[in-house]
Amino acid sequence: MSKLALFALAVNFLVVLGITGLFANAGKLFGPRPVHKGDADLPYETGLPPLAPAHERMTVSYWRYAVLFVVFDVDLAFLLLWALSKPVLDLMSMLVITGFIAIVMLMLAYFWRKGVLECN
Amino acid sequence: MTIPLAPQAALLVGVLSALSLGLLRRPPPSALRGVAIGSVVSAALLALQAPIGDAGSTAILITDAKSVGWLYLICLGALPLALWDDGTDDVFTALFLGSLLGMSLLASAANLPMLFIGLEFMSLPAYLLVARSRPGARALEAAVKYFFAGGVAGALFLLGLSLYYADTRSLAFSGTLTPLGQAGAALMAACALFKLGAFPLNWWLPDAYEAAAPEVSGFLSTAMKSAAVLFLMRLCELAPEARFAAFLPAIGAVTALTGAILALRQQNLQRLFAYSSISHAGLLIIGVGAWAAAGRSADGVTALLFFLGVYAFMSNGVFAFIKHSGLETRAQLKGRGPALAVPAVAFTVLLFSLGGIPPTGGFLAKLLVLWRAVDADLLWPAIAGGVSALISLAYYLGMTRDLWFEAPSGPAPKPGPGAALVIACAAGALLLGAAPWFMSGLIGTIWP
Repeated sequence: MSKLALFALAVNFLVVLGITGLFANAGKLFGPRPVHKGDADLPYETGLPPLAPAHERMTVSYWRYAVLFVVFDVDLAFLLLWALSKPVLDLMSMLVITGFIAIVMLMLAYFWRKGVLECN
Repeated sequence: MTIPLAPQAALLVGVLSALSLGLLRRPPPSALRGVAIGSVVSAALLALQAPIGDAGSTAILITDAKSVGWLYLICLGALPLALWDDGTDDVFTALFLGSLLGMSLLASAANLPMLFIGLEFMSLPAYLLVARSRPGARALEAAVKYFFAGGVAGALFLLGLSLYYADTRSLAFSGTLTPLGQAGAALMAACALFKLGAFPLNWWLPDAYEAAAPEVSGFLSTAMKSAAVLFLMRLCELAPEARFAAFLPAIGAVTALTGAILALRQQNLQRLFAYSSISHAGLLIIGVGAWAAAGRSADGVTALLFFLGVYAFMSNGVFAFIKHSGLETRAQLKGRGPALAVPAVAFTVLLFSLGGIPPTGGFLAKLLVLWRAVDADLLWPAIAGGVSALISLAYYLGMTRDLWFEAPSGPAPKPGPGAALVIACAAGALLLGAAPWFMSGLIGTIWP
């Protein structure tokens, strides 16, 4: 790349940083100073004192569902690739993809059986 | 008619059978044991008929002489774990066979991304095997450490692969490499050395081997190490212009020495054999460096294959003895020899073999590898390897003295099953030392 193009890139980078920094901190820079008085900093819960801390522990089963989604999404990715590259369905490719789907269905049956799909 | 990827298919069928048995309300333990042992044995038998050469190749999986040879080694290293599997945990069996499947895919890999797939496929079940092998927080902690180490190794490999591809526009063979490609190849080699437990990157190994159940540690130290050695060798092949191979003997020498020296202070038996495993990995790295320096000839491969075969017997045997006898520390070994009789004699033979004392296989294995190193003008690494073997004799002979010549202190734990396995491993190590033509006969079927 030419030196002019690199200079233009650097200027662009700095301008972007400057503008986003300005917008992100505008309240802190230009707004009124916050007054820490009394209980005005507490989260608003219809005037009552907060019942529980705002940062609760996250249940790990949410992560488990995310992992299951990723696994079956990758399965879908393979199915899409197969569908796009086999416009003429001969028997062999049908058997191969049926075998693949059978293995993935076995996985689903295993998860179902082991109670991973329960929500409680 | 020969079916090219039949061993891999057999292992896949094994994984699916283990999971299908897990669908039942009460999977019969004998069925799961049968699946485990049957898959390993059938994979080894099917490897006998695999067509060697281009006949069975696809673009990403090949069946060449090294892949078949290493399939034997991997199945040999995995057979004791299959025999120890008591069939109560279907996930354990599926994980173990899945790790084997990954190793077999790695053995047949034809290009670098397939090598990575095989690597991750064999590693992820291994982390879970360590976590599941013993109840309690220690095994979980070791598994987490192992997982992070393996994750970093995988990241190194991918970065290296992307740099390598950026330079050569090829996923398998390279022409001349610019420094970018050399850096990529060096990063990929760093991943392989991570998995082997080379000098600065071996901090995860003692924790993982100490906290896992002994039979899982045996599996990790034999089958996983064989696969990691093949990984390093394939890297040397697929990137022949890379210069990292010149540094392997030095890294191997330092690894062998640090493993031997750090093992001197260990009291926990599994941790001690983990450091011993690091020391043997150092010798293997010297062997791979010698093979690469000598132009990647078949003689170097034979030495490595023999070493890994003997090591499979030795390492599985010592871990089987630890599990059979229930002993955990060196202090508990004192005076247990006469009480444990034949397994203790077998353990002594295995210790002699690990130390490299003549009529056993370990001596011949170290001799072959160091001979290859000297042949390739790598004199100082060979001397370092020899010195590390000498240092290791301190704790091997020390354990022998503890077993037979000290007075017992405290009550002995009751021995469990598995005496036959210890004796079989010791017999194997002795046989390969006294009659090495068994192994060379097998090697002759692969390299006619």
